[in-house]
Amino acid sequence: MSFSTFVTDKPGLQKFYEAVLASHETYAPAEKFGKFDFKLVSRISECDPESPIAKTQSIKPLFFPRSAKVMKYVATSAGTDVSEVDEDPLAVKRIIIGAKHCDARSLQVLDKVYNWDYIDTDYQKRRENTVIISTRCDKADTHCFCTSLDYDVENLDAMDVLVVNGAEGKIYLRARTEKGETFLKENFSQQLAVGSEQSEVGSRHSAEEEMKKQYAAFAESFRLKMNYKEVNERLSKIFDTPEFEKVSANCVSCNTCAFICPTCHCFKISDEKVKDTGLRYKSYDSCNNGYFTLMAGGHNPRPAKYRRWRQRAMHKFVYYKERFGENLCVGCGKCTIACPVNISIFEVVNQVASAGIQE
Amino acid sequence: MNYTKQIQDIAAKLFAEGKIDVFVGYRVNGFDDNQVPALITDPQDVPKLVFTDKSVFNLVNYLKSEHTRRKRVGLVVKGCDSRSLNLMLTESQVKRENLYVIGICCEGVVDETGQKMQNCVECAVPDAVVSDELLGTPMSGSLTLTYRVNADIAKLSEMPLTERAAYFEEVFENCIRCNACRHSCPLCYCAKCCIDQETATLYNGANTTSSAFHALMTWSLHLAGRCVDCRNCEKACPSHLPLHLLHKQNESVIYENFQEHLAGVIPEDRGAFYKYSLKDPDDFIM
Repeated sequence: MSFSTFVTDKPGLQKFYEAVLASHETYAPAEKFGKFDFKLVSRISECDPESPIAKTQSIKPLFFPRSAKVMKYVATSAGTDVSEVDEDPLAVKRIIIGAKHCDARSLQVLDKVYNWDYIDTDYQKRRENTVIISTRCDKADTHCFCTSLDYDVENLDAMDVLVVNGAEGKIYLRARTEKGETFLKENFSQQLAVGSEQSEVGSRHSAEEEMKKQYAAFAESFRLKMNYKEVNERLSKIFDTPEFEKVSANCVSCNTCAFICPTCHCFKISDEKVKDTGLRYKSYDSCNNGYFTLMAGGHNPRPAKYRRWRQRAMHKFVYYKERFGENLCVGCGKCTIACPVNISIFEVVNQVASAGIQE
Repeated sequence: MNYTKQIQDIAAKLFAEGKIDVFVGYRVNGFDDNQVPALITDPQDVPKLVFTDKSVFNLVNYLKSEHTRRKRVGLVVKGCDSRSLNLMLTESQVKRENLYVIGICCEGVVDETGQKMQNCVECAVPDAVVSDELLGTPMSGSLTLTYRVNADIAKLSEMPLTERAAYFEEVFENCIRCNACRHSCPLCYCAKCCIDQETATLYNGANTTSSAFHALMTWSLHLAGRCVDCRNCEKACPSHLPLHLLHKQNESVIYENFQEHLAGVIPEDRGAFYKYSLKDPDDFIM
């Protein structure tokens, strides 16, 4: 099926976003303390759809919230009454603007695990009801390496609507899914387009070329390049390498990398109790934390830092790949930026993999 | 400020003489010019060591790590770092004889934008107060160690209470409970931290405003009178929360009531947090 492409310009896109914000529940990067996080916004002035990737949190919390209510309970003398929590605020029809390609891709990766043995219905509902509008970056950031991984960034179909900045201020909007097609048809009014609908169809060929050109320039701007196949293969063979001890020595064992990561999906269950009533939450957890594998009897199979780091690297580049055929890393570099001591996952996996050759 | 050469020479000498097992310094990240802490056990890695104005992280944090415990450690400290080291020594967390400390007379470090960090602009003790060897020109003699109210705290205290509450509500709302602040703090060395107790009512693992409030407040109160303003926590925060405000507020309360400030400057001084007398004022407690 072919999807439509619309041509507009900067003011046109701005007006389109304003129209979307006015008519839909819309999440967009909103700035707080110098960092952008996706929040519910109602005016374009409250958000910046072009927020820099290094300062923007991922869209994961909109599908897998940092803390989600699971159930309520009341303890009575007759027993415990368990009840459903209020309606999920994230399950309503909504639009995300200003997402990045790595964000969109992360959901494709997460879909695999959420559709695996247990189907997470909350996640499914949030996914179904969301239209993602993703802007292709013009330039790679210091720690980006998305083009080096196992997905085609240029022809990515993880977002519903793709926005590409072309030459001479032209902006292309292209539907990437049927949901996106319907959304664009309904919401993109022709007044916003540069030229008429006929000229849009007539210039279809050039739009294609323009988008290719933009991607070529973007792909050129990457400093970090690696061969993911080599990394996958070598890591799978060197579980016992002492290199993991070296690369993890300066890790401070906080949870930041996993909490920031758009693909990490481990969680823990905790209760908020007031006297006899309680709320049960499902919140983020991280394998870099020393308590992660601590068992009730006191045994901890991963007491040392290097074992936890090995788990993290191997889960991202070996185990998930073996089970679902995808890397559990989208190359966004957010963990490196957030890390208190600037540990780069790119550096870690490459260093360990290259140590594998020498052995 | 560049002591790369001197530090490499000292580290090489220490390894050659067999005085240390591990050297804790900085190396360049390999991809940009940001620096990462390096724990070096192999003398061959010594040429990787650097020290410039981008050597931001407080390395005293690594004295609680499994890589340095019960080992002889070579360590680089700036002014603020040395104060936290002083507190670690006073609180019997490390043995002085196991350490070889390279002190730096610090001229201030920069953040990722290249600007001098705010705590460095306001720094009262730029020279290392604990050291076996001091690099640079000491300037402590010309400094006045009088207490000055932090500009941010002065501004906050002028705000009406409701506005201030709303401001901090926003801070706690944006906390994602990753605990990077605590893990990055050199003085948070408890083997089991109270905010990790997931069954506790106050600090349950959920990422709610109330649990963030309780966790951050408990954390900052445990650092009252001990915080050395190295800003490891603030640099570590993935949400860029202004965590120094909590510590600075504690500092001002402690100064008003106990006339103590600049934790860790005097060796063996235990600070307001550890001293108790029946005459202690308590009217500042809510």
